[in-house]
Amino acid sequence: MQKLGDFKLPHFFNYPPYFTLQPVKETREKQIQLWKELILDYCRTQKIFVIKLEEEFPLFSNSVIERTLSHEAREAFLSALVAEGRSEWLDKGRRSCLILWHRIQDWADIIVNFVKDNGFEDSVMTVEEIRSGIESRGTELHGIDRTILMRALKLLEQKGKLAIFKGTSTDDEGIKFSV
Amino acid sequence: MRRRPGIGGLQTAAAARDQYRVLGGNVAKLRTDLMKEQLTTFRSQLEEFARKHKNDIRKNPSFRSQFHEMCAKVGVDPLASNKGFWAELLGIGDFYYELGVQIVEICLATRLLNGGLIDLQELCKLLRQKRKHDREAVSEDDCLRAISKLKTLGSGFEVISAGKKKLVRSVPTELNKDHNEILELAQSQGYVTVDEVERRLNWTYGRAIDALDTLLDEGLAMIDDGHRDGNRRYWFPCVSSISSFVADS
Repeated sequence: MQKLGDFKLPHFFNYPPYFTLQPVKETREKQIQLWKELILDYCRTQKIFVIKLEEEFPLFSNSVIERTLSHEAREAFLSALVAEGRSEWLDKGRRSCLILWHRIQDWADIIVNFVKDNGFEDSVMTVEEIRSGIESRGTELHGIDRTILMRALKLLEQKGKLAIFKGTSTDDEGIKFSV
Repeated sequence: MRRRPGIGGLQTAAAARDQYRVLGGNVAKLRTDLMKEQLTTFRSQLEEFARKHKNDIRKNPSFRSQFHEMCAKVGVDPLASNKGFWAELLGIGDFYYELGVQIVEICLATRLLNGGLIDLQELCKLLRQKRKHDREAVSEDDCLRAISKLKTLGSGFEVISAGKKKLVRSVPTELNKDHNEILELAQSQGYVTVDEVERRLNWTYGRAIDALDTLLDEGLAMIDDGHRDGNRRYWFPCVSSISSFVADS
């Protein structure tokens, strides 16, 4: 089986027609379903948060069978993820896409658990500390995309679980938890 | 016998006919009895044989297929009913029903990928994966037998031949001769191009595109425009064993 790094690629990745958007509805639906799963799986295991449609991306071409996804196909697969709430376009021109293998709500839950596990219920942390601090090492939050993190934090702020404030000395924002 | 005139002559003739008939009947009865006896002996021998080789029949696919052949010759169908002696003795009725159910499951699970047409070998492979506990015990012959039993359900399970391959059809699509020839042609590479179909089968463009479009619509073919020669390829998952991966998921 073909691999990308330590990622095991599914069989369909080696079957050329899966790289051409299928004209018949049922066949295309199945094709899109398989690609959606593959993209989410790959991004989750490789911790990829943003896919840029016009740039090289390991899943967009397969050198073994010499096939590359057309722009139209890339957009179709990602749009399908957007429709399911598993990704979001970052620009109007649909050139880059935020991949949410956890939905924003799930990320918010992960943050709450992280806070509880570490006894930070009433503490103050910076956004950067959550992303790259020693406490988050080994958790899913480590290295999280800043946009996604901010979205999850804002969701929690709306629910009154924390307050976001602008730091005085640094550019970074501070978080006051009150879980 | 010389014909004699008069009532007496007629009566004698009638009596003779009757006697012949009785005699003929006796001979025939004797023969049938003998045949019956032979058949009974044969059956009991077959039963004896089945009892003795019960385990072989259950576990060894080629032994099983030969046994089926033998049964067919004496007009015994071990699968005809699950209540009969044979089923009770061997339990093979259940074996084929179970296979049948699993075949239906596989056909359904792979339908979206292959349009309801699957290579028999591929089906067997998936069947063996599904029955990991006795991996060796299912042969293609067993598959065919189980499928033939599925026909009673009237659900359109059918085995069709395309070239060297046997394909199992689980959708009521009618494949005509043209479609079949394309499937046959596709076996060497897994795909065909319109050009190839025209050239190899000596068809007009219209005929080729018509048949390919139908196969596309039925979900049996997928297009591939990605080759650098720019020619559209029509791939057929049912001849390229692409279905395997759904079994894992």
